[in-house]
Amino acid sequence: MSAVAPAAVFFAVAGLVPLVVRDAFFLDGLVLILIWGSSAAAWNVAGGYAGQVSLGHSAFFGLGAYAAALLGTRWGLSPWLGLVGGAVVATIVGLVIGYLSNRLRGPYFVLATIAFSQVLLIVGSRWRGFTSGSEGIPVPFRPGFWTLGIADKRVWVWIVLALAVVVYLVELYLDRSRRGYQLAAVREDEDAALSLGVPARWLKVAAICVSAALTAACGALWAQYVGFVDPLYVFSVDLSVRFALAAIIGGLGGALGPFLGAVLITTLETYLRATFGGIGAGFVGIYLIIYGSALILVVRFVPQGLTGWIAARFVRRTA
Amino acid sequence: MRVVNFAHGEFLMLAMYLAFWAFALLHLDPYVTLVVSLPLFFALGWLSYRAVMRPVIHASHNAQVFTTVGLSIVLQNVALVAFSADARFVRTDYYAVTVRVAGAVSNWAQIVAFAVAVVLTSGLFAFMRWSYTGKVMRATAQDRQASALMGIDTDRVYALTWAVGITCVGAAGVLLAPIYPVYPTAGLQFVLIAYVAVVLGGLGDMLGALIAALAVAAVEVIGSYVVGTAWKEILYLLLFIGILVVRPAGLFGQRGAEALGT
Repeated sequence: MSAVAPAAVFFAVAGLVPLVVRDAFFLDGLVLILIWGSSAAAWNVAGGYAGQVSLGHSAFFGLGAYAAALLGTRWGLSPWLGLVGGAVVATIVGLVIGYLSNRLRGPYFVLATIAFSQVLLIVGSRWRGFTSGSEGIPVPFRPGFWTLGIADKRVWVWIVLALAVVVYLVELYLDRSRRGYQLAAVREDEDAALSLGVPARWLKVAAICVSAALTAACGALWAQYVGFVDPLYVFSVDLSVRFALAAIIGGLGGALGPFLGAVLITTLETYLRATFGGIGAGFVGIYLIIYGSALILVVRFVPQGLTGWIAARFVRRTA
Repeated sequence: MRVVNFAHGEFLMLAMYLAFWAFALLHLDPYVTLVVSLPLFFALGWLSYRAVMRPVIHASHNAQVFTTVGLSIVLQNVALVAFSADARFVRTDYYAVTVRVAGAVSNWAQIVAFAVAVVLTSGLFAFMRWSYTGKVMRATAQDRQASALMGIDTDRVYALTWAVGITCVGAAGVLLAPIYPVYPTAGLQFVLIAYVAVVLGGLGDMLGALIAALAVAAVEVIGSYVVGTAWKEILYLLLFIGILVVRPAGLFGQRGAEALGT
């Protein structure tokens, strides 16, 4: 039950900032925050709302990134078509994963999703003829809105903001609708939900598919924004953990939580990159040590996440 | 124990680094390091349990998954900061010495690793099966509450089980050091195979895991002949997914164990 007002403020600020701030570094950070926030929120649809905790979501992200990059480089098509195509492919893959691992719970499900993303990692990095293998794909810059060749970072902010709002609305739907309540019932006690006639299996698969499609859309936009697709990155377990981490820090099952988590994580990353930039490998390590420790500490001390903590502490419950 | 440790591979990696540094700085042979590694990794396991795992041992599966994933990230990157991303190799004098057994050529280090692994696995198997402590561990894994009611200090048992697991992976890491290069993310490739074997054999079933490990190894080796080494990992990953889908309790496990969520 998240209030809409904080989210409206958050998205309005994100949308208005580019009108005032022209600093490319800052706008770049904002674009990344919105992309990672949307990915984390998309993960949250499966991981938080449906309780289907996946550590293989990079599979969907990578599919989106590859679909957009390959359609552009191989057939000269628009990355927008790639975004849609990636979402469709990810939905199909999500359907397969969701259907096959439907019975699995807890660590079994996690292992299955990791295995799936590893399979795609191997395909992406070894199938040289199609994906150009582990060299990755540089996405050519073709100016124009239709080809997503946009140099102006302000436009990028608005594009990814639109995606973020879409993902947020999906979450909001799950917060308020009958389907959402049914999903929560499945998450809390699947057997009880089944006995009440809730189509638990179908709901879980559907949640994974929606989550997969949204994650793929994030991946497609990310590929166009960054301009390079590297299979060892887009299919990595690290990336999957990143989605989960932002959602957990922000608060599982809350609509705005993943975005707040992404704000924290991306800001920290950007700050440390600016501070330790010259050290190279050292930076990545220090950043990730903080990231891992944060995961352990949040799970231990604030399992309800930032939004849950704020809600419990500062917002008086109005019954 | 019913906790999947996603940081298992990172402990393996640390053991490989231990072997490397002992060799590079103190000129200790990895097989001497092996003896030192056993108490060292037992202590490391105990400590990591106390510091990290104990608070979440009664929490949900997801909390445990994320805690061990967090631990894995931390260990991996501590290694990255401390030892850099370079692949290191323990190059012993007998590195190139090969042994021919019935037409199959093996590296000396592989033979020793195999022999020590057999001894350790049998020892662990016997320990879990016949010793009082082993029985207590299995009882606790089966039913935490009932064991506590029987007067078992389950908290200590968890710490001990965790530490024994880390000790084993520490020994494995030292044994692997003369065969494979070590780098901060080296753990993942080994631990994925280990998960496949354990799930195939049935979680909590040691003999099953041993048989499954041999089966996985056979799939890997035969697979690299058939489809080439570049694609061999995909075979056991698909095998893994197949097992999870068809028979998640493993070949010998109890049916339905995967859905119990205990």
